Amino acid sequence: MTALVSFDHATLGYGRRVVLSDLNFDIPEGDFLGIVGPNGSGKTTILRAILGTLAPLKGAVRHAANLRYGYVPQRDQVDYHFPLKVVDVVIMGRYDRIGLGRRPARKDRDLACAALDHVGILALADQPLNALSGGQKQRTLIARALVGQPNVLILDEPTNGMDLVSTTQILGLVRELHERDGLTVLMVSHALNEVANYVERIALVNDGGFRIGNVDEIMSSSVLSGMYGIPVDVDSVNGHRIVVARREGDARDIAHTGGLVQPHHHATQRDELV
Amino acid sequence: MRRSGTSLFDAVLLFRESLYGTLVIAAACSVLGVYVVLRRIVFVGAALAELSSAGIALALWLAGHGFALGLSTHPIALSLLLTIGGVLFFGSGSGRGRVPPDATIGVTYAVAGAAGILLISKAAAGEAHEIFLHGNILGITRTDTLVLLAVAVPVLVAHAAFYKEFLFVSFDRETARTLGFRVGLWNLLLYLTLGLVIAFAMQFAGVMLVFNFLVVPAVTGLLVARSMGGTFLWSIASALAAAVAGFSLSVPFDLPSGPAIIAVSGVLALGAFLVRLAQRR
Repeated sequence: MTALVSFDHATLGYGRRVVLSDLNFDIPEGDFLGIVGPNGSGKTTILRAILGTLAPLKGAVRHAANLRYGYVPQRDQVDYHFPLKVVDVVIMGRYDRIGLGRRPARKDRDLACAALDHVGILALADQPLNALSGGQKQRTLIARALVGQPNVLILDEPTNGMDLVSTTQILGLVRELHERDGLTVLMVSHALNEVANYVERIALVNDGGFRIGNVDEIMSSSVLSGMYGIPVDVDSVNGHRIVVARREGDARDIAHTGGLVQPHHHATQRDELV
Repeated sequence: MRRSGTSLFDAVLLFRESLYGTLVIAAACSVLGVYVVLRRIVFVGAALAELSSAGIALALWLAGHGFALGLSTHPIALSLLLTIGGVLFFGSGSGRGRVPPDATIGVTYAVAGAAGILLISKAAAGEAHEIFLHGNILGITRTDTLVLLAVAVPVLVAHAAFYKEFLFVSFDRETARTLGFRVGLWNLLLYLTLGLVIAFAMQFAGVMLVFNFLVVPAVTGLLVARSMGGTFLWSIASALAAAVAGFSLSVPFDLPSGPAIIAVSGVLALGAFLVRLAQRR
């Protein structure tokens, strides 16, 4: 498959501070990739490099020609004090196509309504954005990303702060967009348990380390324990993978983590994993 | 200045040039004020107003000490210089290192305010101190109004033409950036228009009134309207109404015009709040 984005021995960081070094991987067309890691691990840095808003310190990040992203930011990056209707927010996804100094036309509104219909909230088109629930707001932002007809949909922490029902619905919608529309999807999240059950590949980022592979390959006790530096178990409940950080004193041996275990980190790291 | 027997209409007629100038200031500030309030940069507006007033004070101090060197020491020139300096500083996101942005704004506000007062206290001009603090909208002439129009009209036209660009970078700068918008440039342009309007309005309206027009009408608009267009319209309408009502009441009743306008603005905002409260029930 054609690579839409290629990291060629890319070192990423800010000024003199290196966040991640020697990244070497492709994002092919049709990929469904989860970029997962704790807060501050460098997920957003990779995201910025993919979006082209951060140049690598070394190496190269190559983008396919005519690549167009549909970006869904973290919900708290959007200011809900603005008195905007849902449809007005979605039309913003076409602002770059409308042109400098020009106003949206009827066609833009029609496309925005079609995008809202696609994510199942057309009935809310004329509602104020700040009157929506967390899940509805997220659908609005996804519709805005889709209205620009992107090659790649990028979601930054799409389920942050959501309840179980909304989380399941949003992740289900994202998977549907990937399967039904063949859209390439990149999802950035700190919640490994959520992402692992929806995506096809995972890029794991932690403490300067980076590992990418298929879900089966990454979701193993040895890989996760090595990456996180604590003993981790991967269990299965009704076909869903669940990652659990092992507590001190648990029966299973921690020797298989290759000596990377640091017991005093257990309490803090456990939260970040799940 | 009480004029017994003078009708409200006569009083307004007498000072109509001043009223026209005040209306221009009210309209321009109330449009920019919507962004000031929504972007939570209310105190950037206050700091820019203080910088502008420090520029005026510096010009008056220089004039009082025989350093009036033509245009370079004209109050507008120095006010504009300091305000644009502030615009470049705040617009570029400077001060986001170890010092939190709001602390940087606070330092600028306090230091510029104090510098202005210190300079004006040593300026020779007689009523300079009073004018510096409260402005002198009754002194606005037809020429002043034309100067204000020459600044306000291009600023408002730019905001009408590039509404969607200003809106997008204000509402969601990260997404705007991913769609190729030059967020830094648009932010700087927004701050520049703000600085221009503040610098010129400060010559006549004073810190308090300019700050009022930048904040209170926009709050009224946000309380009443349910769309961006409606917010701008209500903001402009309430600013103009406050200017006319406050001005009209201040002349016959011998009240200071600026505070009278601010008081009416406050009443309108309170009314809008009560309307909003009633709608929610």
